[in-house]
Amino acid sequence: MKALATVFLGLLLTPIVLQAHHSFSAVYDSNKPITLRGTVSKLGWSNPHAHIYIEVKGPDGKVLTWEVESAGASNLQRAGIRKEDFIGTEVIVKGFLAKDGTPAVNASSFTLVQSKKEYVSEEPNP
Amino acid sequence: MKRVPITLGLALLVGVSSVSRAQTRPDFSGTWTFNQSKSTKGIAGNTPIVPFPSQIVVKQTATELYVEGTSVRQAPLKAVFRLDGSKVTLEAPRGITETGEARFEGATIVVTTRRSFSSPAGETVVDFKEIWTLAGNVLTIEKTRTQSGESDTETAVYDKV
Repeated sequence: MKALATVFLGLLLTPIVLQAHHSFSAVYDSNKPITLRGTVSKLGWSNPHAHIYIEVKGPDGKVLTWEVESAGASNLQRAGIRKEDFIGTEVIVKGFLAKDGTPAVNASSFTLVQSKKEYVSEEPNP
Repeated sequence: MKRVPITLGLALLVGVSSVSRAQTRPDFSGTWTFNQSKSTKGIAGNTPIVPFPSQIVVKQTATELYVEGTSVRQAPLKAVFRLDGSKVTLEAPRGITETGEARFEGATIVVTTRRSFSSPAGETVVDFKEIWTLAGNVLTIEKTRTQSGESDTETAVYDKV
């Protein structure tokens, strides 16, 4: 009975895991590179991806919040980047635009302007 | 009487100049495969800042350069450049406009392209500059991506198939 419950729970959780770790090409457009400069307002410090939310001023002067998907917290920590390095800091992000037209980017690299810490993605092709 | 030698001299000068220009122009034609071990580190990874095709097919004539690049995640990108450096509109995926030009600078080819598309940040433009150099069966492409005042350069090496 316990085993059946475990399997059932596993099945319930599977879609959540799949949603968290998606393929790049399903969500992002490799033909649309984009560079953003903004200020970090929120951070999702998680694995397999961390999510950095940045406020970017558009050409019309309006501020838009962009969601930046980067390597996971474990990879960032190994690269010497800590959670505390992000909030309120200015960041330059280079990556690829989301296919669905939302302000979302997959980061190839980002640079924390004040601390000059840089992270360059080296994840292998899926 | 003096007119004949002058005309002859001019003709020879033009002829020699054309021949020497043709001789300094290497032929980049062929099928070229990306060699990751000889290329710079920044090209590797899931989403490289400066993307390169994994294979390039080049057909070069006296006036044109046909380039077809294939990559893991992209549909083949085909381009026909005029080697006089005039601007051409390139074939691009839906929603993207791309123009470019190619010209010889000595023994190298310089290819510049400008890609534009709309994004939540407004009209977005990215410029690429490629410098192609040939050494036997090795093609080296130095490529610079410039966008929003930020530039990155990487170098890819291709072996002839």
